[in-house]
Amino acid sequence: MIFQGQPNLFEEIITVLGFWDRLLSGFIITMWLYMWALIIGFFLGLMLALFRQYGGMILSRIATVYIEIMRGTPLLVQLLFFYFLPLSLNLPVGVWNFQASFTLFDKEITIILLNQRTLVAILTLGLNSAAYQAEYFRGSLLSVGSEQLMTAQSIGMPRIAGIRLIVLPQALRRVIPAWSNEAAYLPKYTVVVYFIGVLDLFAQAYIIAFVTFSVIITYIIVAMIFLIVISLVSKGLDILYERTKIPGL
Amino acid sequence: MEEGDVKVIFGPSGSGKSTLLRCINMLNPPDKGEVYLRGQNIKGDGVNLNQIRSRIGMVFQHFNLFSHLTAINNVSIGLRRVKGFPKEEARNKALNVLKSVKMEKWADHYPAQLSGGQQQRVGIARALAMEPDVILFDEPTSALDPELIGEVLQVMLDIAKSGTTMVVVTHEMGFARAVASEMIFLGNGIILERGTPQHFFTSPKSDRAKTFLKQLQMLYGSHEQLLKISDKEE
Repeated sequence: MIFQGQPNLFEEIITVLGFWDRLLSGFIITMWLYMWALIIGFFLGLMLALFRQYGGMILSRIATVYIEIMRGTPLLVQLLFFYFLPLSLNLPVGVWNFQASFTLFDKEITIILLNQRTLVAILTLGLNSAAYQAEYFRGSLLSVGSEQLMTAQSIGMPRIAGIRLIVLPQALRRVIPAWSNEAAYLPKYTVVVYFIGVLDLFAQAYIIAFVTFSVIITYIIVAMIFLIVISLVSKGLDILYERTKIPGL
Repeated sequence: MEEGDVKVIFGPSGSGKSTLLRCINMLNPPDKGEVYLRGQNIKGDGVNLNQIRSRIGMVFQHFNLFSHLTAINNVSIGLRRVKGFPKEEARNKALNVLKSVKMEKWADHYPAQLSGGQQQRVGIARALAMEPDVILFDEPTSALDPELIGEVLQVMLDIAKSGTTMVVVTHEMGFARAVASEMIFLGNGIILERGTPQHFFTSPKSDRAKTFLKQLQMLYGSHEQLLKISDKEE
């Protein structure tokens, strides 16, 4: 291979795609991380936004500090911090695995869904995304405005019920276009898990590129996969936005 | 204030009209003074403010309908979530109240699909449905186009005639003249003058009130004309 001249483009693509089992397992891991990070980020982010907006002095300060720290420091630093923290504290880090295997077209594919590293990756991505999502949520809470909550209180609704029944249903609808930013960014952020040895799509691409020397082709294929996924997510969120739109607005 | 009273509060902007209303239901807790609802000090300890607020209706200048809810759900949400009505019962009651403001045809429309006057009538229905002891109106017609004011005033006149206790911040002098049991002129956060509509339209004492009424006249025509309009509406 090394001494071969310019390989033809088509052959190169075929060679890279020959590693489809690696691409597939990497893709599943990337989507797995993405899904959990988005879910954790959603609920934690929503909670942070509510604390920041309605939580009173103490809770809103705590939420603000959290958000500023998570947004103000590199994701990679956070990831390495959470990965090495238990080790440097001499906490017992067990070797454990939760994996799924299946056979497809005579290839055995094993995917480690959860172990020490994957858990750290999921939590870090989720905790980080929460800070960004919180600010999207806060923006949309602000755009609903304080009048709606005050009106809810004027008919005798307790504040919490007013937030839950009046403010949130409006804020969650309004947040979709802005929030789709985070949904589109997050899959690409997941590539940092490569640094703690999680075999995501990017890590697998590195291996494929190293073995085949088809660096450009490999990464173009990886880029295409991201592009397709993110386009589908964006389209899905557009549809969700249209479906949940308040008539007349 | 007695049962069935209609008090009209008016005065220049910044005189504290809206603040006064918001003090009454504690949306702006007052710095000084007390508010009693049927003998109960609502600023007292251990008072359930939400329960008190459910007995004080409020209608807002900018309608403040819950924009994600249909007209009928705007009216029934308080019945269901505050008064604990079952779903069907709340819906039936809400529909009846919407009928009384002539909005039953629009029950399943969202606020953004309604005109300002229609929105405000739903806003009034929302307050009415709770069967409050008193309803506060915060400039209910001042955000409306002139041709939409009539339908809202009509509904308010009907409510006043039915014996509902009302505190109304408004500059609609025709309305005041028709139903006010007392008019209160506010300026700079204090009561400058109070009296019957008769008193204000014939012999206001303070110069400030005189000037203010004159300005209203210049803007809206003489109160005789306004009265005619409200008579017609009746």
